[in-house]
Amino acid sequence: MISFFFYLFATILILASLAVVLARNPLYNVLSLVVVIFCLSSLFILLEAFFVGVILLLVYAGAVMIFFLFVVMCLNLNGQTLNALQQSRFRLLECLIGVLFLSEFSFAIKSFLTAPAMPASSIRGTIETVGKILFTDYLLPFELTSFLLLITIFGIVALAKGALSTGVDDPVETKPIGGSQ
Amino acid sequence: MIGLGHYLLLSGFLFSVGVIGITINRNVLKILLSLELLLAASNLSFVAFSRFNGDYAGQLIVFFVILVAAAEVAIGLAIVVLMYRHFSTLQADQLKDLKW
Repeated sequence: MISFFFYLFATILILASLAVVLARNPLYNVLSLVVVIFCLSSLFILLEAFFVGVILLLVYAGAVMIFFLFVVMCLNLNGQTLNALQQSRFRLLECLIGVLFLSEFSFAIKSFLTAPAMPASSIRGTIETVGKILFTDYLLPFELTSFLLLITIFGIVALAKGALSTGVDDPVETKPIGGSQ
Repeated sequence: MIGLGHYLLLSGFLFSVGVIGITINRNVLKILLSLELLLAASNLSFVAFSRFNGDYAGQLIVFFVILVAAAEVAIGLAIVVLMYRHFSTLQADQLKDLKW
């Protein structure tokens, strides 16, 4: 049963991740990324990491992706900005990176076929167990994260203020960026 | 039986797709989305290692990665909106100057 769900969600994940990269319309890119996050969260729950899976679904699909969608719709992209497959000047470099990744991937498959099977441990990432470690061993990083978010707010306000004060556009148009956080 | 290798292979595939997306797309918004794919791939391998090694540290790192990614997206999209206001396009080739 677990292997059936793994292959189901892995297939959807692969297809959706290809759609993220290859779809022309940014709206479809963002919506495919929502599908990717959903499948990833399902895989986390298969791995019995319940807390992280739910947080991923809530924070990523619920907040971050909707923020992306908001920006895509706000920008009102016309057809000229959508032509993604423009001729690139780094075509040779891109081919090189592709070949490099392909060869590394073949190594990974080769070692995958010969690796011994490893039994899964019995840990369950429930809110209780993860929260206990989060508020004891990882208390300092957790507090520093709030500091990071504070700096992020400062950064966004600084960016929005810069756009207002340099007079790049008329102030009526630059006002909505303050609501981006 | 699904083992660690299955998850790592899937994670590696996802990471490769993300890197390919960064290299072939010139649209800043799509580059940001491909970056999200990279983070998702690393999250998957962290959780898989956590499950198969019996250590909760991987899941906590995923928690922090999600928080940092939220901050990164907020700043990145603010810059994208500013860039669109200034250039009226999202092509990454337009960002040639350090200061506009």
